[in-house]
Amino acid sequence: MKRLQDVEHHETEDLYYPTMCKVTGARQITDMEKWYELEMPEGTSLGHSPGQFVEVSAFGIGEAPISISSSPSKNGKFELCIRQVGTLTNVLKNYETGDMMGIRGPFGQGYPMDNLFGKDILIVAGGIGLVPLRSLINYVLDNRKNFGRLIILYGAKTPSELLFTEELKVWEERDDVELHVTVDQPDETWKGNTGVITTLIPSLDLKLNTTIAAITGPPVMYKFVVMSLKSKQLPDDQIYLSLERRMKCGVGKCGHCQINGVYCCQDGPVFNYADIKPLEEAL
Amino acid sequence: MECFSLLRSDVPALIDHLGDFGEVIAPHGKGDVSYSFEVVRDSSDVVLDYNRTLLPLKKMFLPPVEKLIGFSLKNESYEQVDVAIAPRVFFGVHSYEMQSILRLDHSMLSGSAESNYFKRRQSSRFVGISFEPDEFHFSESVGVVIEEMEGFDLFLNEVDDDFQLYVLTDNGQEMLNGFDKINLTEPEIVEGRNFKKKIRYHYNRLPRVFQYAYHSDVWADVASRCVGCGACTLTCPTCFCFDVQDHVEVTAEDGMRQRSWDSCMLSTFAEVAGGENFREKTINRTRHRLFRKFKYITDEEGLPWCVGCGRCTAFCPAGISMPDIVNELIQEDEKAQYHRTVRV
Repeated sequence: MKRLQDVEHHETEDLYYPTMCKVTGARQITDMEKWYELEMPEGTSLGHSPGQFVEVSAFGIGEAPISISSSPSKNGKFELCIRQVGTLTNVLKNYETGDMMGIRGPFGQGYPMDNLFGKDILIVAGGIGLVPLRSLINYVLDNRKNFGRLIILYGAKTPSELLFTEELKVWEERDDVELHVTVDQPDETWKGNTGVITTLIPSLDLKLNTTIAAITGPPVMYKFVVMSLKSKQLPDDQIYLSLERRMKCGVGKCGHCQINGVYCCQDGPVFNYADIKPLEEAL
Repeated sequence: MECFSLLRSDVPALIDHLGDFGEVIAPHGKGDVSYSFEVVRDSSDVVLDYNRTLLPLKKMFLPPVEKLIGFSLKNESYEQVDVAIAPRVFFGVHSYEMQSILRLDHSMLSGSAESNYFKRRQSSRFVGISFEPDEFHFSESVGVVIEEMEGFDLFLNEVDDDFQLYVLTDNGQEMLNGFDKINLTEPEIVEGRNFKKKIRYHYNRLPRVFQYAYHSDVWADVASRCVGCGACTLTCPTCFCFDVQDHVEVTAEDGMRQRSWDSCMLSTFAEVAGGENFREKTINRTRHRLFRKFKYITDEEGLPWCVGCGRCTAFCPAGISMPDIVNELIQEDEKAQYHRTVRV
């Protein structure tokens, strides 16, 4: 147990002061989502790893946890992509280039990259789940020789909800990326796969001993994706999931993000499936 | 460890004397039945015999509402908040309350150590006092006896209506310098202060009981009576969950970011933007509260995160009793064990 006398004053932190970051790019990319590029003050770097998140704040409204969407290999700046779904995010919608955004973090555990080097990476992204996974995808692409296959499964409700469509085109054209996109509700122009994301899994040819799966999507998606991957005999500890919770403080104090006894903001948001399988509240 | 005798009538003089070492905060009567830790204005107002204060002492270290930053909407900027570090002396604190502060130390200082909490905590001294357990106290069942002196600088043990004053630290010694109304004496054991409320098992057996209790029928029964008001967590001395909210002044130019106590018993506690609620039902929340007290942190730290003050029970409008829930889980566990044994 940590005791008062074990702590020196210099070891304590002002945990709740945001760093003011300049918005250097902003673009509404779908009806619901806006992309932002931000710059830390005085040329410092955010220093994140793929899968981590930041607390974004707008004074007068509050803070919310937001995934980092850019790869750490992108120097100097970092990117967010924010769905307008709550009070704060609907205010952030009005932020444009030149505005200042409050940032705390990066927080939490991202993907354990040491375990991923040399492996085939299977990305399973449902809807806005592509946002944090894009950080991992671009990290793999920027260090392409250090990884095996890169397989990306991406599902959205409708074609108009697909995110990062220009990057999707680039990934589609690369020989070293296996991209499979599906939509639940196609429109008349849609020529690709139709159906939920799990329909893309059965036909995959995976090397079981070298494949690492990274799953992010809406809460309802995880059980079904895990079930599909298990039916392909992929071992539990080769599956990583990024879970959404109400990570209010980001520093393991406020209690909102707890999954049973685990703080999502500290031990997650990226979890190894083998570790959270026993947690009743996880999936 | 030195022990002195102190007459009950000389306690106000001691409180006045302690004022030299900081602002003295002690229990006061509030209305006919309620008590509260307040700053001492007149030492004769301090209550020496009380069962429990409504709000725990945590309010002095984690204020119910606390300013984290002040901001300007016009300039898109903020200023930091300086946490006052004036020395304080907490007088008349019960052992379970002190134990709750030691647990809060762990919660706020392990991992990321919070500076606000640290500053308030570091400049504090504690004078304990014994108490007569009422029908709600059960601290002995969670390992906290009446005379548990860990964390205190001085401790007053009531003996035959007067007190024995124990000196426990150098700070305690310092606080008695120049105070001449005490006489060296032999410590006495006080008999007959018995806990009326008990958990049937030693607390180190509870994590095992809880290991099999997740799907117990007891939770549905508790949930059916719970009104979801959150009084249990707000009065709990070891609960520390909080919310952070921004408040804008009427000028719409300035404002502040505040944190305030929050409760995992409130229905929206685990809800995220978009409406997904990860503990939507009362049954999920009542279970979570108890697991927080007897399983999750206990597994790692070896101590229950409950100190047996009895507040959650005494102040529950629905009459839900924490030790009764635990005893029901124990009973259920015994039945299950019996059936397992018989089957073999």
